[in-house]
Amino acid sequence: MFARAMRQRRLSPTMLRLVAAVFVLQLLSSAAAIFFLRTQMLDVVRADREDQVIDVRDDLLAAFYSGGRGALADFIRDQRGSVADPGVFVTLAGGGAPTLTSNIDFVPAITPGPRPQAVLVRRGDSATEQDALVLASTLPDGARLTVGLMGASERRFNLAFAAAIGLTIAVAVALALVSALVLGLAISSRTHEIAKAAEELAAGNFGMRLAEGQSGDGFDHLRLQMNQMAERIASLVAELGAVSGALAHDLRSPVTRLSAAIDTALARVDEPGAVEALQAARADADGLRAMLETALEISRLEGGAVQDRRVQLDLAAVAADMVELYEPLAEQSGVTLALDLSPAWIMADRELISRALANAIDNALKYGGDAITVRTHAAEGEALLEVADNGPGIAPEDRPRVVERFVRLDNARTRPGGGLGLSMVNAVARLHRGRLELGEAHGGGLAVTLHLPA
Amino acid sequence: MQTMLPSAPCLGGGGKINSLSWKLLVAGRILLVEDDPQIGDYIARGFAEEGFTVDRAANGRDGLFLATDSQFDVVVLDRMLPGMDGLSVLKALRAAEVETPVLVLSALGSTDDRVAGLTAGADDYLGKPFSFAELFARVQALMRRGSGRQKAQDTVLRCADLELDRLTRQVKRGARKITLQPREFRLLEYMLLHQGEVVTRTMLLEAVWDYHFDPGTNVIDVHISRLRRKIDDGEEQALFHTVRGAGYRMAAD
Repeated sequence: MFARAMRQRRLSPTMLRLVAAVFVLQLLSSAAAIFFLRTQMLDVVRADREDQVIDVRDDLLAAFYSGGRGALADFIRDQRGSVADPGVFVTLAGGGAPTLTSNIDFVPAITPGPRPQAVLVRRGDSATEQDALVLASTLPDGARLTVGLMGASERRFNLAFAAAIGLTIAVAVALALVSALVLGLAISSRTHEIAKAAEELAAGNFGMRLAEGQSGDGFDHLRLQMNQMAERIASLVAELGAVSGALAHDLRSPVTRLSAAIDTALARVDEPGAVEALQAARADADGLRAMLETALEISRLEGGAVQDRRVQLDLAAVAADMVELYEPLAEQSGVTLALDLSPAWIMADRELISRALANAIDNALKYGGDAITVRTHAAEGEALLEVADNGPGIAPEDRPRVVERFVRLDNARTRPGGGLGLSMVNAVARLHRGRLELGEAHGGGLAVTLHLPA
Repeated sequence: MQTMLPSAPCLGGGGKINSLSWKLLVAGRILLVEDDPQIGDYIARGFAEEGFTVDRAANGRDGLFLATDSQFDVVVLDRMLPGMDGLSVLKALRAAEVETPVLVLSALGSTDDRVAGLTAGADDYLGKPFSFAELFARVQALMRRGSGRQKAQDTVLRCADLELDRLTRQVKRGARKITLQPREFRLLEYMLLHQGEVVTRTMLLEAVWDYHFDPGTNVIDVHISRLRRKIDDGEEQALFHTVRGAGYRMAAD
């Protein structure tokens, strides 16, 4: 049971693929979101910096309009206001006055325009050229005012972004993994729920119904179909039950009358020939009765129309009791009936298991050799009950057939019996969610093994 | 009706028991509630031939009325009846504190149905098809239950010179000590508790082995013949008797 639960929890290759796909998709969508965000943020940063450049230029223009060229020159020279920022550089050239610069050694060659432009500039003793946003404007006196802003802030943004992206990716990966697993488990558990329902159906509980949702998704569709299937099976089984019930009533009563009539006749005749014939008829009527009984019992078992009377029991004890019942008969028939019992506890219906075992022993006594061994032991997750003989056995190709109702192999046709023994064993095994295995015994005979889940 | 002593069959004189003595010993009054006229006729005729008075009802309501109204030794009640089904009749009887032994007869012979019948207050349950001998043996057993209960308290059971001590678990035939296996002991104990009655193979299987199915082969016969050899071999008087078509009877006749 535990091993089975473990198997159910483990992810199958299909589930693994699904989880992996969800994981990759999650990751891709996270990456797309991050890069979209980055572009947007860069745009914002860039617009922000352009505004900054324009603001500086406007400050300088304000100085020019309030005090003329001299005031502007003072403003630049004294690095007042926003010009004080070390990232900001200003040049003022032309207009019949000496060129004036702040924070830069040369005048960038750039045509005046309404928006700042990105150019590469080299400042001071810096070895490399750096990004800068530069805006050039022509003053009313013909001089050219150039205002620039170094790209340090964009680099800083990139550095900060790089630092953040590591953490972001880690979180995204974790989230993707978690969501993939959650999704996988959710699907898995829903599928298990439906599979469990199917299992109940297989075990004969046709009354089971799954809760139907209203969302109309694939799972709901599946549940709906399962329920309809269960309903159909239930109605078919009920029909079958009704038919076999009617058959029971219709056949049992005549057989009872037949037996009664034979009994009446037997009580009245003394002629030995007649008595003998009547006794033979009596035996056949009894055989018919037993067959009818068994066939109906099998129908009931297969239809699952049996009350749950399972208790915790030891197969070894059940086997010991049954062997004790059969031992004198075996001895009389010259067959040794041996026991090889070790404890095997299961939840089972004693009456039904005993009946199955009686059928198996009976079968071995009829068709097996002169040595029968009844064995019980507990194996991994199941309890085994085996009846092995040293007879001719059954050819592997015939084995599936003999489990069917009323099937008798050619060599059994001359012997009494209705071909129901092993069908009954099979029905009992299936009712206990176990299985019947027909194999070869050690000595070459038939080994009938009931595998019952512990 | 006749009253009888618990050990009456063992007191009977030697020789084969004949149907006349059966009639004198066990005849009683039976109520048969069965809707199938043919089966009803067969059962009624069978009991009549054994000297019983048989009253009949063809549906549950009449059956309930008769059963509450008059005294019967045993009620044989079919389970599937028109009008009011057998189990309802049975429950109504028990609710009315009618304690007459009831044997439920049914085409529903599975263990489930048997358990349902017994829980509803039936004293015995017999699945159709059945043999009349089986039904007869069981009805007799029900009628004798009173005396059987008395016997069930005895510590020493006897039949002729056979003695079974339930405390020391010793069995003696005259002076001869007999060693029995535990199951043989229980088998003999059951036979002694029901001495004089016909015990069927099914009854033995139910009482001694607690199995409620028919194994089909003659497993019980072999057990009986083993026990019989231990008890009767070398003795002048046989205590085990085979009743043709029905089962066995233990008696000193």
